[in-house]
Amino acid sequence: MTAAAAPILVPKHEKTADTAEAAERRQVRSAFTFLAPSLIGVVLFLVIPVIFVIILSLTQWNLLTPIRWVGFSNYANIFRFDGFGHSLLVTAYYVLLNIPFQTVLALGLAMLLNNKLPGSGLIRVICVLPFLATPVAMGIVWNWFFSPTTGIINELLGHIGITGPAWLSNSATAMPVIAFANIWQYVGYNMLFFLAGLQAVPAALYEAAGLDGASKVQQFRRVTLPLLRPALLFVLVTSVIGSFQVFDTVYVMTDGGPGNATQVANLNIYNTAFAGFRIGEASAMSVVLFVLILIITVAQFRYFNRRTVYEIA
Amino acid sequence: MASVASVTPASAATAVTVAEPPKVSRGVKLTLFYLLLLIIAIIFLTPYLFSIFAAFKPLDQILSQSPARPPTSPTWANFKDLFTEYDFGRYLANTLIVTVILTAGQVTFSMMGAYAFARMEFPGREGLFWMYLATLMVPNVVTLIPLYVMFAKAHLLNTYWAIFLPYVLGVPQVVFLMRQYFMTIPKEVMEAARLDGCSETRILWRIVVPISRPIIITATLLAFVFGWNNFLWPLIVTNSNSLNVLTVGNANFSSNFAVQWNLILAGSLVALIPMVILFSIFQRYIVRSISLTGINR
Repeated sequence: MTAAAAPILVPKHEKTADTAEAAERRQVRSAFTFLAPSLIGVVLFLVIPVIFVIILSLTQWNLLTPIRWVGFSNYANIFRFDGFGHSLLVTAYYVLLNIPFQTVLALGLAMLLNNKLPGSGLIRVICVLPFLATPVAMGIVWNWFFSPTTGIINELLGHIGITGPAWLSNSATAMPVIAFANIWQYVGYNMLFFLAGLQAVPAALYEAAGLDGASKVQQFRRVTLPLLRPALLFVLVTSVIGSFQVFDTVYVMTDGGPGNATQVANLNIYNTAFAGFRIGEASAMSVVLFVLILIITVAQFRYFNRRTVYEIA
Repeated sequence: MASVASVTPASAATAVTVAEPPKVSRGVKLTLFYLLLLIIAIIFLTPYLFSIFAAFKPLDQILSQSPARPPTSPTWANFKDLFTEYDFGRYLANTLIVTVILTAGQVTFSMMGAYAFARMEFPGREGLFWMYLATLMVPNVVTLIPLYVMFAKAHLLNTYWAIFLPYVLGVPQVVFLMRQYFMTIPKEVMEAARLDGCSETRILWRIVVPISRPIIITATLLAFVFGWNNFLWPLIVTNSNSLNVLTVGNANFSSNFAVQWNLILAGSLVALIPMVILFSIFQRYIVRSISLTGINR
């Protein structure tokens, strides 16, 4: 049989449709068919734009006149004339106000609500509600809450004899208020990921730790936190990337003011590109912001990978 | 570890439900727990409650009264104004059309891609998957300008297409999320089906889809919330009233000289209701599918 099959292998092969090779070829063909739409999407709307924005950052262009090549001068000009350095500092300040509180609160909420007691499920839904509301609309509602004349915050403060500041038109309080609004909006969403991570922690681990006499704090540090590392990495990476790009709430709450106290990077890019029509400078800003986010993201991955290896096993 | 646990089922039973050591009396702890829940509920619900109050008040009362006071004579006038004086019905329809198309495409195409990455053999799989992962890190704002230029050159500005096209073919986030889920389906299931002569399309729709309902629902919800609330991109690519989506229309009520609180608050309420209904129906699937997938590697 084997001896006879060898010489006629090639012609026979084409006829029997179900040989391994034909099946493999068929699988490759359907794999690329399945992949085609998302691949086109990723290349067309993500890969090409990234290359394109780098090229644009080396030009001067207002969308109408011909594109002019200017080399790296945009990168100097955005810091010299457009206050982009200030925008980056303001953004960093926002991220520092936002991320620590948001992450710790999300983790705390998840630990509090990770049980089957009646009411926990309802509160979970309530915590995620803000994520479903449009940030634009909520920003406007917070504007109203923090309004110095008609706002509920200053009304409440008035009852206990404190004259509240003009929150959003005061350069010291404007950014904290924006950070508060965003924490309120996204803490429940991030809680979902911690909750999912906690549910994957075997209860047996806590029992064992409890039997070994581990205190509550020790259990948290030695059992919960290590096992939550993947969830923590996910939440930190996505929320840091997100908060470096904060736009919606700032746009409706302060529009960068007072002065330029809340002129975050994304708002500066938006204004430069779509109000000033200086596409080259705005592209240079995007590239700088992208590189910054990339460095921070890679740093987070490396930090977590170094510390996760032995604990996950 | 497991053997240790099985020795002490009785002592574990009390600890597991609250996940705390049973030192303090149970009653005190439960009271504290529910007090905390109450505070959390107040923090998260008060803005909605006051917004609901205000949505049923005329503008002058919103400006003169405390937000904490319920409307004395509730009025539907704000809602009526939204739909008669302004094109809010149009905004609602625009948002619905765009979001439904965006969601249907994004979920279907991401799922197809995710299945190929998870359970099919083809040359270049690793490389392509890494490309997807790398683009995950690209911030929105970076692609904003080139995309705007591309859409302008293609004469697609001020069209429905412009609003959903960048997201409708599948996005790396969702491909990644679903791929992680599909990886948990045993390979043997697909192999057996292939041996029976099932086409890949049939395997995907008849076998994978039915057992992947939680992740499909999660992806659908996330895409829907994203599409419904998307602001910056529609703001940039459309500038005609007839193409406004809810977010842009609502923001316009405040960008004028006087903020029309009554309309904004009524409008946000209208926008929020479908989201809340969808989410409360499907929330249990979300936690379940997240815990089964990606973030735990």
